Amino acid sequence: MGRVAIVGVGHSKFGKRTDASLRELAFEAYSSALDDAELESPAIDGSIVCSATHYDKQRSPAGVVSEYLGLSPKPTFNVEAACASSAVGLRIAWSLISSRLHDVIAVVGVQKMTELSSGEIQELMGRAGDVMWESPFGTSMPAYYAMYANAHMAKYGTTEEDMALVTVKNRKYGTKNPQAMFQKPITTEEVLHSRPVAKPLKLYDCCANADGAACLIVASTEKAKKITDKPVWVGGLGLASSPMSLAGRQGPLTSFEVTKNAARSAYEMARVKPTDVDVAEVHDSFSITEILNYEDLGFARPGKGTRLLKTNETELGGKIPVNIDGGLISKGHPVGATGASQITSLVHQLRRESGDVQVDGAKIGLAQNIGGIGMYSAVSILRA
Amino acid sequence: MGFEKFGRFGYVSQTKIAALVSYLEKNQIMATQCKECGTLYFPPRADCPKCRGSEVAWVPIEGKGKLVTFTEVYFAPPVFQDSTPYLLGLAELEGGMRVFAPISNEVDRKDLKPGLELVLKSKQAGEGVFYQLESQ
Repeated sequence: MGRVAIVGVGHSKFGKRTDASLRELAFEAYSSALDDAELESPAIDGSIVCSATHYDKQRSPAGVVSEYLGLSPKPTFNVEAACASSAVGLRIAWSLISSRLHDVIAVVGVQKMTELSSGEIQELMGRAGDVMWESPFGTSMPAYYAMYANAHMAKYGTTEEDMALVTVKNRKYGTKNPQAMFQKPITTEEVLHSRPVAKPLKLYDCCANADGAACLIVASTEKAKKITDKPVWVGGLGLASSPMSLAGRQGPLTSFEVTKNAARSAYEMARVKPTDVDVAEVHDSFSITEILNYEDLGFARPGKGTRLLKTNETELGGKIPVNIDGGLISKGHPVGATGASQITSLVHQLRRESGDVQVDGAKIGLAQNIGGIGMYSAVSILRA
Repeated sequence: MGFEKFGRFGYVSQTKIAALVSYLEKNQIMATQCKECGTLYFPPRADCPKCRGSEVAWVPIEGKGKLVTFTEVYFAPPVFQDSTPYLLGLAELEGGMRVFAPISNEVDRKDLKPGLELVLKSKQAGEGVFYQLESQ
């Protein structure tokens, strides 16, 4: 079986994009991915449109996105796995190409969120939990992650100051990413004094809803070698699920089993260890999530994630630079686009195009993308 | 029908285990038990994924348990915003079943930590009926 490569990537500006509709955002990312791959639409076999469709005004958006990109009558469909939609999209593209059903697929992650009021979004996110047994009590996305944070704090002594370090680090790198929603640095004090959302999480522990799109052009070995002399190879893909209800999960809730399971599959498939990873993009939907991810991905032992932060090992120049494109905390989180955005940053790193934030000699990159309140987790390992 | 009364704000009205609501109205905390393999389910389930049995019996459970984790919500979905701040918790009941529930406002916030002993009791508020974690 041949290998599968990413041969082009494109990324729109993320943020409050009052100037653009869903299909126009998708076009921005798709068009720049075609430019990057030096391809035109006839070379694309089909598209996978990845979005959490409950946010979209357009029902079944793949239809209209594919039409607007000029890809009709080629196959298109939606993939939805909440915040992990486009990481799962890459997995589907890999399968379509490995099976030889297709040769070149466009994975288009897109989301238009700011047309909805923050309250409407909160209501939607409240229903991201188990609607029979948990949402009726007033859950919210931050509330679930806050419960993991409290458990981690109680077991390991993690503090709100530790969590603030994640935001401070990621916002620092956000200043270097012109596509990011927030491009200004922030201080620990500002994070600690921001208003409570769900204790212990405060406003600046949380990523922001955003509009945006990111696109990956994925190709078979044969096509990839014709298209580019800098293919980035899909080395390993891991995907796992966890009970959606918090009550269905075991253990002290100081880690995400779902991420550990996805990571194990991805490391096995790629035949690499956590210490082999040169640069990583992890799902920092909340500051605490990044700390748990360090531990669940094997970058740190359980309870030792904060030490990596305090010793600057996840900074540029550290042992394992993490989210040096600013992460969700700086870029904003247009749900369906986030997975493809993480992978776009890794592709630039592995092609040595990351300028100020380039990791010297980066050969192996890892992206980790959690869906919703942790019912899905996808780990993608890429090789230069 | 009838399950929309479950919780502070119900989203789902139709389910095979809607009888939970009438038990809660009578201050009874009930689980379901698979008649085939005996597995106990709380929150109740109509179907057993272990043996695929769909015949279940209602059985009362003791509500004593220990807190696993918790949060205090300040920014809530719109229908809950008037009640903020409020507490949510995950507890492990005796026997190992876990429950996600509101924590009574009467529990002292300073006492909240994993391991805190609480008890699950039925609660009526407005149109809604549910269970919540209270001090033992």
